[in-house]
Amino acid sequence: MPALSRGGLTTGSLLSASCGTAIASVCAVGLFEIERLLGGVWSVAAVLTAGVCCFGLARACGRLTEVVPSGAGPLAFAARGLGRRTGLILVLPYLLLTLFLAGAEALIVGVLFSRVVPVPPGIGAVLFLVGTWGLCRAGVRVSYRVQALATWALVAGLCVVSILALADAMGRGELTERLLPPPPDAARFAAGVGQALFLFMGFELITSQAEIAAGPACVRWALGGSVVVLAGFYATVSLGFSCLDVTPDASGEMVPQLAVAGQAGGLAALLLVAVLSLLASFTSFNGALLALSRLTAALASQGILPRSLSRVEPRSLAPRPALALLLVLALGATALVGLGGAMRPAILAAAVSAAVVYAVLVWVRERSPFLEVDRGIVRRLASTLLAGCFVVLATGVFLDAGPALAGTLALLGTAFGAAILAAFRSRRRTSLPTRPAELQEEVVRVR
Amino acid sequence: MTALVEATKRFVARYHTQTGLVAEQRGWNCMIVLVAADSEQRVTVRLEDGRVAEVHDGEAPADLVVCADQQTLEDVLELRRGPNEPYLFGELTVRGEEAHFVRLDYITESLCPR
Repeated sequence: MPALSRGGLTTGSLLSASCGTAIASVCAVGLFEIERLLGGVWSVAAVLTAGVCCFGLARACGRLTEVVPSGAGPLAFAARGLGRRTGLILVLPYLLLTLFLAGAEALIVGVLFSRVVPVPPGIGAVLFLVGTWGLCRAGVRVSYRVQALATWALVAGLCVVSILALADAMGRGELTERLLPPPPDAARFAAGVGQALFLFMGFELITSQAEIAAGPACVRWALGGSVVVLAGFYATVSLGFSCLDVTPDASGEMVPQLAVAGQAGGLAALLLVAVLSLLASFTSFNGALLALSRLTAALASQGILPRSLSRVEPRSLAPRPALALLLVLALGATALVGLGGAMRPAILAAAVSAAVVYAVLVWVRERSPFLEVDRGIVRRLASTLLAGCFVVLATGVFLDAGPALAGTLALLGTAFGAAILAAFRSRRRTSLPTRPAELQEEVVRVR
Repeated sequence: MTALVEATKRFVARYHTQTGLVAEQRGWNCMIVLVAADSEQRVTVRLEDGRVAEVHDGEAPADLVVCADQQTLEDVLELRRGPNEPYLFGELTVRGEEAHFVRLDYITESLCPR
């Protein structure tokens, strides 16, 4: 392979991008759900178990990226391993459901916004979506340095306030009581692990950065490293949540990270965490919008979506019609999550679709063109087992969905229905267009 | 002259006939290498100020590397297929700065008949 004239992204940049994509404000809500489901060290055990599964996934993704270093990431891997249509049907729902997560994220940002400036949360949510969309439309991309700064500041800030909350509980002599609730049964624990998978969701999307990375090894190291960092971060914050005096739901607060910041560090910590969370949400949504708009435009250029969505603005090279569609969908998702009470179904549906995609990625890693000829049977069996674990975890989420089951199934049904429709419309364009006569025998003149 | 070089030169000729499209790329300087993964064929394309200044056989240090099997590369260069289709499904990969491959994608899609 020819050498590039400029070095690409290093492991450090990819690591922060991976963690930054996974850590969104909505993760705090997911973490708090796990806390209510399991509590104390059992929540930590669920996070770490999900982390172990994701570490296996990270190794598989490292191999996938080495063989197919594609910006299309999971879609390209699944398509190469299982065929185009199957790949679309299995991966597209995961990408579609990130829009519903964007709706959940926007609402949380609205609440965060209302803590910093005096605007109603609904207005804050719309401002967040429209503002981020406007910057993407102008072709503005948040630099990796800003992304890294926002990510590490948020990680450090939340870890510090969580440790302070732990120290506070210890000082009151409540630590053992807080951290050692009764053990959950196996099904409940599996449901907790399934939800914990949601916290890692997005870390694997740096496989899409393989094109601009310094090399495949950088992506491989960043994938594994980000799982370790995320597991440590979520475990620490989970312990902090265990020591909260007030539950976010009881106080009408939908942003648990503010509750733990307020309890541990007062108003200053609360404001700091609010600002850092806003920054993290912005960088996360900015990246998601840019990536999804290019995918939308690419699908439209294939006739899978209306072709008008494939237009690109020549100066900024931003796919503006696709961005406009995504804004409308994100606003709709925000309304559905906010007014339709679909916050929990959105999180659960995202967790299920993530588990399905993870199972697919681990599975295709053991198929052509990714399988090495000398790959041992033990490793192949381990991969099969891991893929099976992801399927079981997806099932566990369903089993413990409770009143959110109908909403979760409706969201998944919509996402998979759209994916099946897209797969049906996809077709390989093999027809040879007539070549313009004047170009048939044209002599190439350079300059 | 290899088949890939010929296909590239035909693609360049089509690009240069689109004066509006070329004008939009003013200020773009880039060295692109096309790699046929299933053969030894390599092509280097040098762009200066949005126009192709040189096309030659073989490889050189590049700003952008595009890799696919030879048939896919020729199909894209001959405008039989858009680049997005093989890209989405992992049959065509690129390496280099995002700004370069987004621009190359724009040019190729603009030339590709609907």
